[in-house]
Amino acid sequence: MGSVDTGNQGKWCPPTYSLNPNCNSEEAVDSQIDARHQKVVFALKSGLTMSPPVPSDLGYVPPDGGWGWAVVFGASISIGFAYAFPKGVAIFFKEIQDFFGTSYSEIAWVSSIMLATTYGAGPISSILVNRYGSRPVVILGGLLCGIGMVSAAFCTSILQLYICVGFITGFGLALNLQPSVIIIGKYFLKRRPIANGLAMAGSPVMLCTLAPLNQFLFDNFGWRGSFLILGAILLNCCVAGALFRPIGAATASVKTQVAEEGKDALKEEVTKDAMEMSSPRNITMETKTEEEGGKGCCEKVNQYLDFSLFKHRGFLIYLIGNVLMFLGFFAPIVFLAPYAKHIGIDEYSAAFLLSILAIVDMIARPTTGIIANSKWVRPRIQYFFSFSIAFNGACHLLCPLASGYTGLVVYSIFFGLAFGMVCAMLFETLMDLVGAARFTSAVGLVTIAECCTILLGPPIGGTLIDTFGDYKYMFIKCGAVMVLAGTFLFIMNYYNYHALAKEEKERKAKEEDPKSVRTENEGRNNWNKETAQEGPELEPLREEREGLKKEVNGTNEV
Amino acid sequence: EKNITLDRATRIELSCRLDKYSHLKRLQVTWKRGNETIRHMNKTENSWSIQLRILDYSNLGGYSCTLKGEEEISAMFHLQVPKIEGKEKPIVSYEGDTAVMICKSFGYTPIAWTWYMTNGSEQIAINDSLLADKYVINRLSANVTHLKILKLTKEDDGVYWCEAAFELGKSKGKLQLRVLSLMVPLKPFLAIVAEVVILVTIVFLYEIYSKKKEKSAEDEKEFDQVEQL
Repeated sequence: MGSVDTGNQGKWCPPTYSLNPNCNSEEAVDSQIDARHQKVVFALKSGLTMSPPVPSDLGYVPPDGGWGWAVVFGASISIGFAYAFPKGVAIFFKEIQDFFGTSYSEIAWVSSIMLATTYGAGPISSILVNRYGSRPVVILGGLLCGIGMVSAAFCTSILQLYICVGFITGFGLALNLQPSVIIIGKYFLKRRPIANGLAMAGSPVMLCTLAPLNQFLFDNFGWRGSFLILGAILLNCCVAGALFRPIGAATASVKTQVAEEGKDALKEEVTKDAMEMSSPRNITMETKTEEEGGKGCCEKVNQYLDFSLFKHRGFLIYLIGNVLMFLGFFAPIVFLAPYAKHIGIDEYSAAFLLSILAIVDMIARPTTGIIANSKWVRPRIQYFFSFSIAFNGACHLLCPLASGYTGLVVYSIFFGLAFGMVCAMLFETLMDLVGAARFTSAVGLVTIAECCTILLGPPIGGTLIDTFGDYKYMFIKCGAVMVLAGTFLFIMNYYNYHALAKEEKERKAKEEDPKSVRTENEGRNNWNKETAQEGPELEPLREEREGLKKEVNGTNEV
Repeated sequence: EKNITLDRATRIELSCRLDKYSHLKRLQVTWKRGNETIRHMNKTENSWSIQLRILDYSNLGGYSCTLKGEEEISAMFHLQVPKIEGKEKPIVSYEGDTAVMICKSFGYTPIAWTWYMTNGSEQIAINDSLLADKYVINRLSANVTHLKILKLTKEDDGVYWCEAAFELGKSKGKLQLRVLSLMVPLKPFLAIVAEVVILVTIVFLYEIYSKKKEKSAEDEKEFDQVEQL
C-alpha cells in the first residue's frame, strides 16, 4: 500500500490520510487508530473486490463443481430410494396378501399410502429445510425410513403395516426427496441442468437394483427378514445426507471474517453504518431478521413456507401444467405389463419391457441434462420441457397402434426416452422459474398439489380398462391429457417469457432514468451530513466508505 | 400327445383322424391301453374312434391309437385327474411366527382336501381338530385350501403335501417350508448398519479435516495481508 514516511521523528504516519503533514505526537494515537482503520478498510475492500457479481437470488455464487459432485451423488441415492422404493416393495405383496388373508386392493393401499405420504409431506419437508437446512432433514428421513421398515418386520396385522410401511417410511422418504432436490439448486447454477439430470438418474438405477435385490431377499429370508434388511439398506440415506454439506450466505461470510476481526478491535469508534458497508448483504440480512422478530405470525409462516409464491406467475403456470400432466404420467407404467400379458405376451417378456424402459430412462436423464445445459436450450428450457411432455403424450396415443411384441418394444424405448426427459427437467424448470432461493417452498407446495392427481391417475386408468374391457382407452386418455398439458405449458410459457422480457426492459429503463440518479445523489448528501458529526478522526474512513458505497452500487447493478 | 383332464365320471370319445389322404391305402389302426387292445372301434371315412366310460381311477391312464401302413404313426391320450399346483420355491418363515400355505385347484372343484406332512419318508396326515392350537385348516373357497401352522419350530421345517380328492382319484401338490431362526437375517442387518455408521463417520471426519485446512489457509492469507500493511 503506502511506504512509511520516516521523516516524521520515527512516528508511523498513515501514508494517504495525513491531515497534518508533519504528523506530530498529538496525532500519534490517532494515527494508530487510523492504521487499524486502514487494515479493516483494506480487508473489507479486498473482500468485496474478490467476490464476483452475485446473482440477486442466493446471495452467493454456487460452486458449480468441486464438492457439488459429491452432493449430486448423494442426491441421486436419496432420490433413487424415494422414487424406486414404493415400486420395489410390490414384490412382497402377494406373499403378504396370503399371510394376512386380505384382498389385493387392501394390500395395494400400502403402496398408495406410501406414495401419498411421500408427496403429501412435501410442505413439512420444505418448512424443515427452510429452518434447519438440508443435511439434518435427510439424516432424520433416513432414520425414519429405517425405523419404519424394521418395525414393519414385526407387524402382526395389515393396519400396522399401513402405519409402518405406509406412513412412517413414506414420511421418511418425503424428508429424503425434497432436501436432495433443494440442495442441488444451492450448489449449482451454470451446470444445474446436468446436476439435476444426474441426480434424477438415481431413480431408474435404484429401481433396476432394487427389483432383483428384493426378489433375492424374499427367496432367502421371507418377507419379514427382507423388511428388516431393507430397513438397514434405507439407512444408507443417512450417508447421502452426511454428504450434504451446508452452503449458503451464512457460510460465504467466512471470507469476510477477516473484516469481522478488524471490526471487533474498533468497536467503539466504527459505527453501525460502516459495518453495513463492509459486508452489505450478510450483515444487513442479519440485522433485518432481528428487527422482524416482532412481526405477526403471517410473516413468520411466510418465512418458513413462502405462500406468496401463489402470486408468482411462473409458479402458477408450472403448478397447473404439472398437476394436469400427472393425471396421465404414471398410469401407463403401471399397466404396461398387464397390457402385454393381455395381448398374449408371456410374463417374463412383459417384465423385460419394463427393464428396457428403465435402461433407456437411465441413459435419457443425464443426456437430457446435458442438452438442457447447452446454450441454445437453457434460455428456452421451458419450451423443451413442454415439448417432452407432448412427446410423451404422443407416444401413448400411438401405443394402441403397436402390434405384437416388437411394437411394444419400440413403444417401451420411446416411452423410456420421453419419461426420462420429463423427469430430468421436472425440478430444473421449477428452479428456473422461481429461482433457487424460493425453490424450497415452491417444491413443497407443488408436491402436495401433485399428490392428488398422482394418486388418481392409475385408478382412473384402471376404471377405464374395467369399463371398456380394452386398454386402448386408457392409453388414449393418458396421451390426450399429456398432450394437453404440454400445449398448455408451451403457450403459457411463451406468454411468460414475453412478460418477463418486458419487465426486464422496464427495470433497465428506470435505472437509466435521470430522475432516479438525482434521488440517489440526495440520499448520499443526507448520509454525508449524518457522518459529519462523527469527528475528524473518522474522516479518512468516511472517504473510504464513499468509495466502498460506489463499489457496492456497481455490483448491485450488474 | 394330448392331456385330458377329467374330474368326474363321464363318457368320452377319443378319435384319431388322418388329414392327408395319402397313399396309405391299406391301414391297420389299433387302439391300445398299455398293452391291451381295445376292440370296440368306430370307423368313419378317415377317422377311427373309441368310446370309453370312465368310472373310477382304474379307467384313467394312457390310451394310444396306432396307424400302421407303410409308416407307423401313433397318438397318445393321457386321461388324468386335475393337477394341483403347490409352490416351487420354499416358503420362508421364522421360529415363533405363523406360516400360511395355500393350495389351489384350477377350474375343477375337489370333493375334499387333505394335508400331509413328511416325517422322514412317511407322509402323515395333519389332523387339525386334534392339534387345534398348532394347525388350522380352512377351505377359503371351493377351489382353495389354506393351512396355517402356528408357533413354528425347527421341526416344522420340511415338505408338505396338499391332496385334493376328486371323484376319479386324488391329486397332490408339493410345498416346502423353511423355518429360520431370527439370527439369520440379523447378521446382514447388523453388517449393513455398521457399514452405514462407518461411512457417515468417514464423511464427517473428512469434512472437519478439510474445514481445518481451509481455515489455516485463510489465516495465512490474513496474516500476509497484515504483513503487507
